[in-house]
Amino acid sequence: MSLVHINILMAFTMSLTGLLMYRSHLMSALLCLEGMVLSLFILATLTILNSHFTLANMMPIILLVFAACEAAIGLALLIMISNTYGTDYVQNLNLLQC
Amino acid sequence: MNLFTSSILLTLFMLTTPIMASSTNFYKSNKYQHYVKNMTLLAFIISLIPTTMFIHTNQETLISNWHWITIHTLKLSLSFKMDYFSLMFMPVALFITWSIMEFSIWYMHSDPNINQFFKYLLIFLITMLILTTANNLFQLFIGWEGVGIMSFLLIGWWFGRSDANTAALQAILYNRIGDIGFLLSMTWFLSNMNTWDLQQIFMLDQNSSNIPLMGLTPAAAGKSAQFGLHPWLPSAMEGPTPVSALLHSSTMVVAGIFLLIRFYPLMENNKPVQTMVLSLGALTTLFTAICALTQNDIKKIIAFSTSSQLGLMMVTIGLNQPHLAFLHICTHAFFKAMLFLCSGSIIHNLNNEQDIRKMGGLYKILPFTTTALITGCLALTGMPFLTGFYSKDLIIEAATSSYTNAWALLLTLIATSLTAIYSTRIISLTLLEQPRFPPLMSINETNPLLINPIKRLLIGSIFAGFILSNNMPPMTTPLMTMPLHLKLTALMMTILGFILAFEINTYSKNLKYPHPSNATNFSTLLGYFPTIMHRLPPHLVLTMSQKLATSMLDLTWTEAILPKTTAYIQLKASLLTSNQKGLIKLYFLSFLITMTLTLLSFNYLE
Repeated sequence: MSLVHINILMAFTMSLTGLLMYRSHLMSALLCLEGMVLSLFILATLTILNSHFTLANMMPIILLVFAACEAAIGLALLIMISNTYGTDYVQNLNLLQC
Repeated sequence: MNLFTSSILLTLFMLTTPIMASSTNFYKSNKYQHYVKNMTLLAFIISLIPTTMFIHTNQETLISNWHWITIHTLKLSLSFKMDYFSLMFMPVALFITWSIMEFSIWYMHSDPNINQFFKYLLIFLITMLILTTANNLFQLFIGWEGVGIMSFLLIGWWFGRSDANTAALQAILYNRIGDIGFLLSMTWFLSNMNTWDLQQIFMLDQNSSNIPLMGLTPAAAGKSAQFGLHPWLPSAMEGPTPVSALLHSSTMVVAGIFLLIRFYPLMENNKPVQTMVLSLGALTTLFTAICALTQNDIKKIIAFSTSSQLGLMMVTIGLNQPHLAFLHICTHAFFKAMLFLCSGSIIHNLNNEQDIRKMGGLYKILPFTTTALITGCLALTGMPFLTGFYSKDLIIEAATSSYTNAWALLLTLIATSLTAIYSTRIISLTLLEQPRFPPLMSINETNPLLINPIKRLLIGSIFAGFILSNNMPPMTTPLMTMPLHLKLTALMMTILGFILAFEINTYSKNLKYPHPSNATNFSTLLGYFPTIMHRLPPHLVLTMSQKLATSMLDLTWTEAILPKTTAYIQLKASLLTSNQKGLIKLYFLSFLITMTLTLLSFNYLE
């Protein structure tokens, strides 16, 4: 694998780790989610340009569109939580416990 | 020969002239009433011409005037059938209407709308004649509905009184229920015999089906107040007395019986329908006679008496004797109309008092009315050689000597004796003993407008039976021989009833009025029939329709089946299947460790 690929994959892995291991704020999880999507986009575009497979150029663009929608929903959920609890601390999300 | 058709059409046309005059100024004057009465008198005289010709030559006529419409293969035209029944009925109806109109000049004298009253009576008479002379079912239905409408308008004459409105509505509703059967028959005739003409129906009737007669029977039951559709007749006494005398004793209520008599060629081949009609008539006559025993309103007693006699006419039809039933219609009209006129005289003279418990001692005060009342009651019970005898006795003889249902016969005989009992009740409570009304009453019967109609109907009540049965051409073989005890059955039952009534009257005259027993309550409240049937079925039907429309359709099928069920299932499922403590960070961490371990193991352990 070339160095560029390793670089981008490292970026993806770091965002993934950031998504799964965060301290208290839900906002950081959302930010890391955005980072994951962004690194995936770059990786896909570079691979397509490198292999001259421009027929698949649609895929990253559609991925970006869906990521935008998903970011909006994520932010809306964050606002709801912030309205209910005042902060976005993760330890507050325990309504479904039995 | 030539005068036959001209006289018929002249009679029918003459009666419409006063109605056409009602748009002029003449309608507002006081002479209109006498004009209408004189027109009816002249119509009666002219209608005697065809009747006499018929009696002389036994020749029937069919007048078919004007072709109205042809729908596919159905040809409808204006046609009049002048046969035995309609030619005999017309003079009788016109005579009685003439007498009643003269009476109502006296009775309704103080009414401001008296001219309209006469117009309504005249329209009623015309539609009744349309009904009796109709040759096709469509024209008959026009007359049928016409008498129903006029009955509504005339019962609700004093429409400011809510009881009168209720009674008029009740009459319309019960007649409507019967009309369902009429329409069923009309449809059957149309689709199976392609006609509504009576001639074609009688010709084409080979293997007769039950359906048309089963449809005509409820129609007759609705119009003639048989059991099950009977409560409108006593309620119809809310109308003025001339209305009760004309419509609900002589003319309209016999329309149902007349319909069944018209269809006698179909009925004489159909045993099941005859049995049904017999049972219905027997049940009616006994039930209404029982109800008549404890009523306190004089008009209601006479109304129940009418209903009982109508049941007797149904029994006669059920015995396959339509001509006897017709004879009973004609004779019954005379004395029943007279009884109503006498009760009208009593009511007006006692300042509109209708309760017989507040009448009494009129024997010496109103001698003429007393005479007429007693004669009418005796004619009703079938006193030998008065009018009622010629038809009622023949009916009982035919019933006892025919191979028929013994239960129906027994009920009819019991009703005959009950007739005598309630007649005695009327006579003894209104005429005899000491007066029970307030003393300051101005009672007189000197007005000739009151006396002459009752006098004419009195002569009719005495002699009409004799005259009619000697002049009517015999259509069936009369019954000539029977054992003596069967011949005397009717007379014995009547005498038994009279003796029983006089006995009870004598020994309980001076006793204290007791608390009414269960049997008295049953009889006075008309067998609880109106109480139950006017409340329970409407409540049930309305509740059922509300449940169907609101609960079933709206709430269930459009709301609860998909939307609410889906939401409910989701809720329950998520509550059931989730088992969390809300430790999100630990869950994410375990996911990360799992992913790392997987990647490492797949990369370095091929």
